[in-house]
Amino acid sequence: MPSGESDAQSQSGASSLRYEEATKRYPGSAEPAVDRLTLEVPAGEICVLVGPSGCGKTTAMRMVNRTVEISEGDVLIGERSVRDREPAQLRREIGYVIQQIGLFPHRTISENIGAVPQLLGWKKDRIEARSAELLELVGLDPELGDRYPAQLSGGQQQRVGVGRALAADPLVMLMDEPFGAIDPINRERLQNEFLRLQAEIRKTVLFVTHDIDEAIKLGDRIAVLREGGRVQQYATPAELLMAPANEFVEDFVGADRALKRLALMRVADINLWKAPLAYVGQANAEVRAKLAAPDVEVPYPLLVDSERRPLGWLSERDLAADVVPHRPDSPLGPVLELDDVMRDALADLLQHESQYAPVVDAQGEIAGILSVEIISEFLASPEAKSDEHPAVERPHE
Amino acid sequence: MSSPLPIAAAEVGGDFFRKRDVGDLCQAPPPKVFCFDWARENIDRYGTPTVQHLEIVVISVLIGFVVAFALALLAHRTRWLQPPLLATTGVLYTIPSIAFFFLLLPLTGFGRDTAIIVLAAYTLQIIFRNTMLGLANVPAAVKDAARGMGFTSRQILWRIELPLAVPEIIAGLRVAVVSTIAIATLVVFINAGGLGTEMYGEGNLTFPTTVIISAAIVILMALAFDGLLLLGQRLTTPWRRARSA
Repeated sequence: MPSGESDAQSQSGASSLRYEEATKRYPGSAEPAVDRLTLEVPAGEICVLVGPSGCGKTTAMRMVNRTVEISEGDVLIGERSVRDREPAQLRREIGYVIQQIGLFPHRTISENIGAVPQLLGWKKDRIEARSAELLELVGLDPELGDRYPAQLSGGQQQRVGVGRALAADPLVMLMDEPFGAIDPINRERLQNEFLRLQAEIRKTVLFVTHDIDEAIKLGDRIAVLREGGRVQQYATPAELLMAPANEFVEDFVGADRALKRLALMRVADINLWKAPLAYVGQANAEVRAKLAAPDVEVPYPLLVDSERRPLGWLSERDLAADVVPHRPDSPLGPVLELDDVMRDALADLLQHESQYAPVVDAQGEIAGILSVEIISEFLASPEAKSDEHPAVERPHE
Repeated sequence: MSSPLPIAAAEVGGDFFRKRDVGDLCQAPPPKVFCFDWARENIDRYGTPTVQHLEIVVISVLIGFVVAFALALLAHRTRWLQPPLLATTGVLYTIPSIAFFFLLLPLTGFGRDTAIIVLAAYTLQIIFRNTMLGLANVPAAVKDAARGMGFTSRQILWRIELPLAVPEIIAGLRVAVVSTIAIATLVVFINAGGLGTEMYGEGNLTFPTTVIISAAIVILMALAFDGLLLLGQRLTTPWRRARSA
C-alpha cells in the first residue's frame, strides 16, 4: 500500500461525530430502538459500536446518514446537524460500507468506485484518476478496474466496497459489519489492511460489529451497547479489558479478557529472557559457563552466526564436544519477531509444542527468548489487570 | 364452434382475403404440397402483406411496452397497485383473440386501429410482469448501498434498478414480440391486412403452397426479432457474461 504525499493530501478531511440524546422510535413499538444516545467520536478515530443483536447498534449507525430518521435528539458531523441536511447530499459526504457489500453488478470496478464522485458531478478524467488511486490504496491490482464485481472474490469485493466509500473523501465513514461475511483468514487480512489504511487516511470511522475481538482489534474507542442503544461503557480497548464497567460488559468482553489483552500487545512489550548464545567454533567450556549464570532460564544454549542470527539449539551431545559444532543437534523451531502480536506468538509456541522460542529484531538479530512461562506469569500478574503496563501500541497510532 | 373461421369472417362483413389466380400451374395430378413454379411467379405478392404485418407488430409492441412499462414503474413505487394491475392485464391476456377483435368492432370498427389495440393489450401482461420481476430481483444490498451513498430514489431507479432489470424486461419483450407476430396473422378477420391475407382463404386445403410461404415468412420474422432482441440484451448487459476467470 502506498503512502505517497498526494494520498495524504487528498484524504485529509475528517470531522468529529456527536450523538446528542439521539432517539429512534418505531411506530407500534413501546420501547425506543435507540434511547437518548449520547456519544462523541473525535475526528480521525475509529469508534466501534459493539453489542448483542437487537441492541440498536445498526440503527444508531444509520441515524448518521439518515437511512434511519432521527425521532428526537440530534447527530452532528463537525458542528453541523445532519437533520438540517438534504439526505442525498448528506450521504454523499459519508462513506458507507455494509456487510453484503452491495457493489453494483452492472458497473465495472472502476465505475463502482467512481459512483459518488459521479453523483457529485466530477469530470470524467478526475473520476478515472481517483478510481485508479483508490484501487491502489485498497491494495488491488489496477487491472481489476475493468472487471465486473462477479469476477472478484469476496475479499476483493469488500476492498472495492471500502474504496468506493472513500472515493469522495468523506468526512465520516460508516461501516456495518463490513468483514462479517468474509472467511476468517481473509477477514483478519482485511482488518489488518484496514488499520494500515486508516493510519494513512485518518478518517472518523463508526464501525458496527457484534464481534468483541474485532472491536478490540480495530477500535480506538469501543462503545458497548445493550438493548435500546444504551451505552454500558465507552472506553479504549485496554480500559474495557482491564476494568469492565459492569457485569454486562464483563460478560460481553468474556472471561478470557486477560488473554484478549495479548492481542493488544507485541512481543517487544514484555521482558524477555536473556538468551545464552553460542558461536560456531567457540570453546564449549565457555558456553557451559554462560548456561550456569543465575539469570539464565533456558537449559540449552542458542547457536547463532557471526551476525547473531539464530541457527539452532545445542543439545547435551553438542556440548560434550570441545568446541561448538557447525550444525546444531536440535532444530531451531519457531522464531518470533519483536513486532509480532503477543497472541500470535503464543499461538506459535503452542502450535510447535515449544516451551520457548528465540525472538529476533527486524534485522534478524537475536533479541531474547520468549517462553510460555513468561506469558503465563504476565497473565497472572496484577500488571495484566492494571494500567501500569501501557503495552498497547495500536498499529495505527 | 361449428362454423370454420372463413365463414365467420364472411358473416361479419365481406371478403378480406386476397384472390389467388392459380392458373394452370401445378394443376396436373398428383397434387403437390408445394408448387415451386407458382411460388416463383407469385413471390412479389407477399411484399405488401409482410410490410403491413411488420408495421402492425412493431406499433402494437411499442404501445404495449410503453403502457406496461409505465404501469410497472407505477406499481413499483406504489406497491398496492401490483395485484390489481397483474389481475387486469392477466384478464386481458385470457380473452380469445378473435372474440377480442369482434368485441371491439362496435367501438373501433374494422381496420388496423382495432388490431393494434388488441395486440398491444396482449403484450401488457408479459411485459408488465417481467418488468416487475426484474425490478424485484435487484438485490436489497445493492439498493441499500446506493441509498446510503446518496443516490436519490429516481437515480436508484434509472441508474441501478432498471439497468439490472434489463435481462428480464427483454425476456418479456421477446415473448411479446414472437406471440404478437403469430397472433397478427388473425387481424385479417377485421380487415387489417398482414400475412393472414395470404394464409386463410378458400382453397387452401387443396393449395397449401401459399399457407407454407406466409407461415415461413412469419417464422422468419419471429426468429429475426427474437435474435435482434437477444443481441440487444447481450450488448446492453455485458456484466451478465462476466464470470470469475
